[in-house]
Amino acid sequence: MNFLTDLLSLIGDFISNIIHSIFSFSPSIADAIVMGLAAIILCTFAALSFMALTYAERKIVARIQDRVGPNQAGPLGLLQPLADGIKMFTKEDTTPAAADRWVYNLAPLIIAVFALTTYAVLPFAPNVVGTNLNVGVFYVIAIGSGSIIAILMAGWGSNNKYALLGAFRTVSQLVGYEVPMLLNVLPIIMISGSLSLIDIINRQTLANGNAGLPNLLYFPLSAVVFLISGIAETARSPFDLLEAESEIVAGFHVEYSGMKFALFFLGEYVNALAVAFMFCVLFLGGYAGPILPPYIWLLLKAAVVFTIFMWLRGTLPRIRVDQMHDMNWKFFVPVSIIHLLISMVLLKVFTDTPSQLEATGGILVSSGTRMLILFVASALTLLVALGIAARRARMNRLAEEEVLAKRRMENMAAAGA
Amino acid sequence: MTLQQLIFLGLAAVIVLAALFVVSTRNLFRAALMLVVSFFGIAGLYVLLDAGFFAVAQVLVYIGAISILIIFGVMLTRGMQGMEPRNTQAVGGAVVAAIIFGVLVLLLGPFHVTINNREFGNIAWNFAKDATGNAPAVADTYIASLGVALVDVNQFALPFELASVMILLVMIGAIWVARERKVAEVQADRRDILAEEREEEASIEAAKAGASSTGVPAVPAAPGLPETAIAHGAGGHGEH
Amino acid sequence: MNLFANAIHGIPLWWFLVLASALFCIGLYGVLGRKNAIAMLMGVELMLNAVNINLLAFWRYIAPNSATGTAFAAFIFVIAAAEAAVGLGLIISVYRSMQSIDPETLDQLKL
Repeated sequence: MNFLTDLLSLIGDFISNIIHSIFSFSPSIADAIVMGLAAIILCTFAALSFMALTYAERKIVARIQDRVGPNQAGPLGLLQPLADGIKMFTKEDTTPAAADRWVYNLAPLIIAVFALTTYAVLPFAPNVVGTNLNVGVFYVIAIGSGSIIAILMAGWGSNNKYALLGAFRTVSQLVGYEVPMLLNVLPIIMISGSLSLIDIINRQTLANGNAGLPNLLYFPLSAVVFLISGIAETARSPFDLLEAESEIVAGFHVEYSGMKFALFFLGEYVNALAVAFMFCVLFLGGYAGPILPPYIWLLLKAAVVFTIFMWLRGTLPRIRVDQMHDMNWKFFVPVSIIHLLISMVLLKVFTDTPSQLEATGGILVSSGTRMLILFVASALTLLVALGIAARRARMNRLAEEEVLAKRRMENMAAAGA
Repeated sequence: MTLQQLIFLGLAAVIVLAALFVVSTRNLFRAALMLVVSFFGIAGLYVLLDAGFFAVAQVLVYIGAISILIIFGVMLTRGMQGMEPRNTQAVGGAVVAAIIFGVLVLLLGPFHVTINNREFGNIAWNFAKDATGNAPAVADTYIASLGVALVDVNQFALPFELASVMILLVMIGAIWVARERKVAEVQADRRDILAEEREEEASIEAAKAGASSTGVPAVPAAPGLPETAIAHGAGGHGEH
Repeated sequence: MNLFANAIHGIPLWWFLVLASALFCIGLYGVLGRKNAIAMLMGVELMLNAVNINLLAFWRYIAPNSATGTAFAAFIFVIAAAEAAVGLGLIISVYRSMQSIDPETLDQLKL
């Protein structure tokens, strides 16, 4: 097993030594060249998975909608992504007349680049990671917020009022849903004691006397809210009102066609896959798993999470923009803050390491009991919050129906009299 | 020339050129984008300083929030673009900035200068040194010690609490100041301000005329009282 | 006199100080010499960033094990964000009332 996990590092060392000895560069330059090769491999992986994901999405969503999906291009429609690519390449590349050329052309590039940069910190195996930043989680969130500028550039550079409005609304959604995302990553960071992704995964494995339980079992509310915020961050359905044809034509990328639109499309899917990977790393234990090699575990878990994304896309109707903001600021943020407070207190009070007990005092419980306490607290908070939200929604709906019924009675009375 | 020196020089060039573009261009949107480029350069600089946490915080706070605010501001005040970027005191401002830059380089630079028996430059900071006399490396736990310092009562807990209260006030204040007001309300505000100006000018002229005719300065009518302003505003509107 | 004394990774401290001074003075010109309030705000942000570079450079070279430098820099991040928010709120409000954000024409509070 170790050979398989360290295979890529061994290959990297091998190539670095070859370059160093044949071309007699200094070791640091040879390392830099190998890192460049690794970056190219990561980007190729992301692009290939983009192709596979578009095909899988169309097939799965079609089956949910009781139809077959693409089945003309190649056997079972397997060459559909290739056909899509050829179509995108050969479409005419238009530029609006009075658009700011630099801004207009740079925007899709920046979005695609930022989406790909997220993969640099994802650990595929204990030794296979682009760079083990000690601020890994923070870096991923910062990159996500950095790509928002490119959306504003796209909206402005199109010189189109609807594109600008679409860009504003998209930015307000993305900036809004960053808050619950951050607030729900905090309990994971608290319990892992580190911002580094590999440390977070190590805490969920059986190494170093850890319990080996995925963080999903500690903080289910965080997992649910992080998942929903992640879907909103990538503007996928049901949060895709900003690029819906019936709403605002196509939002901020209405003036883009051909390869530039393909870059936007790629950015969206690569971003969604990155969110799926992050969810796996933070809540499902990343590459940890018994028998199979680590990267297969990570890909399996990410595939399951992405299938959940596609399931939600095929099933739920689109959310209106005011409903989306309501849900974010009036439900997710208060619930996340309350959950954060509760988990902070419980984490401090119930510890499972005797050394921490001496340092800060508290109650010593076993790891399993601690997990159970946190799980019960988190699940209770989630259920109570959902209950309150459901009751309020029902009362709102009843009030609306009352108003409608009253108006109908008045109309009937007026028509009768 | 080590690699880090080259990286520093490249980043410094990017930062300074982008900043110069920001303060001299007419197109505000491009200025905002160049500000973003400058911020990225500064984030790279923080990585060179072994403060990776602050590099990521710079991207998250400045580029992910402040730059978006500035771009929103630029887009919402669109009538004000395309004008000559420099105002009437721009030349004076440039001179002042150049002088201050000269003084700062004199004071902080590496060149020892003696003027009038006073010595400037090449300050001997007491650099941190570890046991072997080299610069110590930054411990991996610098983020943890920052966190502890922010909640330690003997260190920075009070400024931390004050900062959080300040952010709450800023949120409430910004929402209240920039709230959507009805058109009539905004027009009434504008009329009040212009009416007050007219009041002031009229009273100043009356004072001048009164002083020149009777030798005693007449007491000017109190400007800015809401009743008079509204009366004049209403009167002005009636004449309209 | 050794220009590269006390260099970390080959970069002496005064490089950071001179760069921060240059950025500060460019920001100062942006505040003093521009006709648009938002452009002035951009100058202010440049100045705050210059100060942050200075702080972190001093932290790294003089006291890398102390939390004071990093805490101060963190507070400046917070204050810069808060001030940008309030400043833009005010600018938008003034634009709505006066249809102008040229600081030279907004002189109702002058004597």
